[in-house]
Amino acid sequence: MSDRLSSAEAALAYQRQWFADLHGAVADGAPFALVNADTPHEILRTMGIPYVVNQWWASIVTAKGRTQDYLGLLRERGYPDHSEQYSSIALGSLFDPDPGSAPWGGLPRPSLVLAETTGDASRKVFDVWDEEPGTTFYPLESAARDDVPPRWWELMPRRWEEAVGSDRLDLMVEELVGLIRFLEATTGREFLETRFREVMALANEQQEWNRRTRDLIARARPCPLSVTDSIPGVMVPQWHRGTTWARDAARAFHDEVAARVAEGTGVCPDERYRLMWVGRGLWFDLDFYRRFQRTHGAVFVWSMYLAIAADGYLRYGGDPLRALAARFAAFSDQLYTPPWSAEWYVKEARHHGVDGVVHLVSDDARGGYFTTRALRAAGIPVLELRADNVDARSADKDALTRTVGDWLDNEVAPRT
Amino acid sequence: MPAATTATSARTASRESTASSALAQLTAHAADRMAAAGEWRAEGRPVIGYVGADVPVELLTAAGALPVRLAGSPGAGTATGDRYLGHGVDPAARSVLTRLLDGDYGDLDGLVVSRDCEASARLFYAVRELRRVEPAVRLPPAHLVDVLHLPHRSTTRYVRAKVAQMRATLETWTGRTIADADLAAAVEAHDRLRQLLGEVAELRRERPARLTGTAVLAIVAATTTLPVRRSIELLERLHAHPDTLPEADGARVFLTGSGHDTTDVYAALEDAGLLVVGEDHDWGDLLFHRRVREPTELGLAERYQYNGPSAPRASIRRRAAHTADAARACRADALLSYVRDHDDGPLWDFPAQRAAADLPAVLVDRQPYGSLTAEALASAAGLTNQLGGIR
Ligand code: SF4
Repeated sequence: MSDRLSSAEAALAYQRQWFADLHGAVADGAPFALVNADTPHEILRTMGIPYVVNQWWASIVTAKGRTQDYLGLLRERGYPDHSEQYSSIALGSLFDPDPGSAPWGGLPRPSLVLAETTGDASRKVFDVWDEEPGTTFYPLESAARDDVPPRWWELMPRRWEEAVGSDRLDLMVEELVGLIRFLEATTGREFLETRFREVMALANEQQEWNRRTRDLIARARPCPLSVTDSIPGVMVPQWHRGTTWARDAARAFHDEVAARVAEGTGVCPDERYRLMWVGRGLWFDLDFYRRFQRTHGAVFVWSMYLAIAADGYLRYGGDPLRALAARFAAFSDQLYTPPWSAEWYVKEARHHGVDGVVHLVSDDARGGYFTTRALRAAGIPVLELRADNVDARSADKDALTRTVGDWLDNEVAPRT
Repeated sequence: MPAATTATSARTASRESTASSALAQLTAHAADRMAAAGEWRAEGRPVIGYVGADVPVELLTAAGALPVRLAGSPGAGTATGDRYLGHGVDPAARSVLTRLLDGDYGDLDGLVVSRDCEASARLFYAVRELRRVEPAVRLPPAHLVDVLHLPHRSTTRYVRAKVAQMRATLETWTGRTIADADLAAAVEAHDRLRQLLGEVAELRRERPARLTGTAVLAIVAATTTLPVRRSIELLERLHAHPDTLPEADGARVFLTGSGHDTTDVYAALEDAGLLVVGEDHDWGDLLFHRRVREPTELGLAERYQYNGPSAPRASIRRRAAHTADAARACRADALLSYVRDHDDGPLWDFPAQRAAADLPAVLVDRQPYGSLTAEALASAAGLTNQLGGIR
């Protein structure tokens, strides 16, 4: 048997075909949006406006080895190549003198770019897009809370008003109303409330499947799939959420994992250690995740992509627009703001019974101290790896491999 | 010597000593930022630290507290701050956290942090989390005031709610109600201070200039540690006789890029032959150019939402237009962007700023906190040669 999940392969094949069709649609004059991962995609879905996720495109470009080319094109224009690389690679690809050589036939020119005003520089990447003729940047506010809801993952599905805060939701709803009006006026497409409700319901169904899959993997011994399968298995459908295809793909992914669990199939024949990967995907070295299966019987059973799908997206009840505001308003809190993030990683580490955590700490403002601290306080060994997830210049593959190997030998092995 | 001449020179001497003693006092307060706080506390009154220019200081004054803007200390080491914030955060914020944890700011009755940049937000989260998980660490109670800046009416409504929330927190901390009349008096005082700072900043733009950029930076910094009425009094004294101050000289440069919470970089630039005639960061001109329209929570919300445009929060376009206008208003002959390590916003601004300002321009990036590399200093000083005889 090929150990690749057929549902993950099917998702990738679907994405390829979808992307090829997108080129045709854009050539025929369809509006097209490039959007950040933490923006309200459901509005575009409802209005039938195709979109590509900025970070997904960066991961494709990086996996195909074109990142340095595109960062170089930014540098030529006087922009930094060492800041916000994950957000700016797509912008760099805009300046490709030979767009036909780009991965997957290249990214079509967007008519709209959509991002929250997070960080100090990430909105500026989109300001540069806005200078392009025919491209408009629609910035969304990113608000923060003074106080913190304990155990947000229990509140989010139904008590999101409490978890996110009413001031923040009032603001975000206004932002969405503005976005919808803008899209109605500039694209001529309809925003039908009935369609929007369907989109929201399908997205919830999809995340319920992801939740079941996450829980299955947490309990399963041995681990039934590799992280490099779970990422496309979850994320390709995530970028299509609100469609029946995506809902069904999430179910197919679940069913395949369930079948493997029932058969007792594992990805690592000699599974000894269960590991958790905290941080964004190491797109420039995807083989990294499987390297330690062969040498140490260590298998990565967790990455944030499936887990955040399971805990971070479900929103039931209330006005659907407010529920949508609640879905994206607290994204970066859930993943990067202590104690929201730190407590969640501990909960997930315990749920999955991991023997150790590899924590990718990039040279950016998010930092990692409180996450590492919380995991260690829970008695879990943590290795902090310092690298950027898309910029291979920041780390030497062999050094990363050695560091992890030594840590497994010296810290994880003696404790298990 | 005839009696009349003696009287005139005595008057001149007294005027000189008044303006220069005001300057000396302001400069001293910029250097010893907790001196006024000590006196204030000795009278049994609360001292509240704050981080960032987006904190509505009027509320702190109205609450009867002394607002002290926290600054870092270049060269003092940031190991403690690095531990909690990581090396990817602006070193100025790491320095502030280090000083907070080392007790450099004394016993603060509270800490208000704005989200004027990502580093401030991270600093707040670290303080909040340390208070929760490491209670042995001594830190004041902290409040985040989430002032946002997109130019939307809905944003104003949100900021207004945040202003009200901060008011309620201050009432809890100080145990006293902030009456509308207290707020009105505080707004009036802080607006008067802003007007005076604007007038003083003009003194470095005149020909001959009567203040250096370094002196103006120190003056502004002092007014963020002193009681507002004391600041007003000193600035009035300074401004009454500017012609008694020594002339300042140098190639007229407008400074953009990172903010400066100490005078180190300005002093190095001015020693190298430049004169910083204006800047667009919020320890300088950007702090005080906008007034409050009415003394209410809504008036404060509008003032802080629309003040700027700061590098971390404004669009490239707004920022470039502002830099170009401000450089022109300052009659600058060149544009210099100084960008500190891990302060990424200004790097994206620079190409558009250079194009809009249409002046000889230099970017020095990835600079250490509070200083310039030798190479950067040489390239900044190179502007004086490019300008040739213009000055
Ligand atoms: S400050 Fe006032 S009193 Fe003092 S010398 Fe000037 S005018 Fe006279």
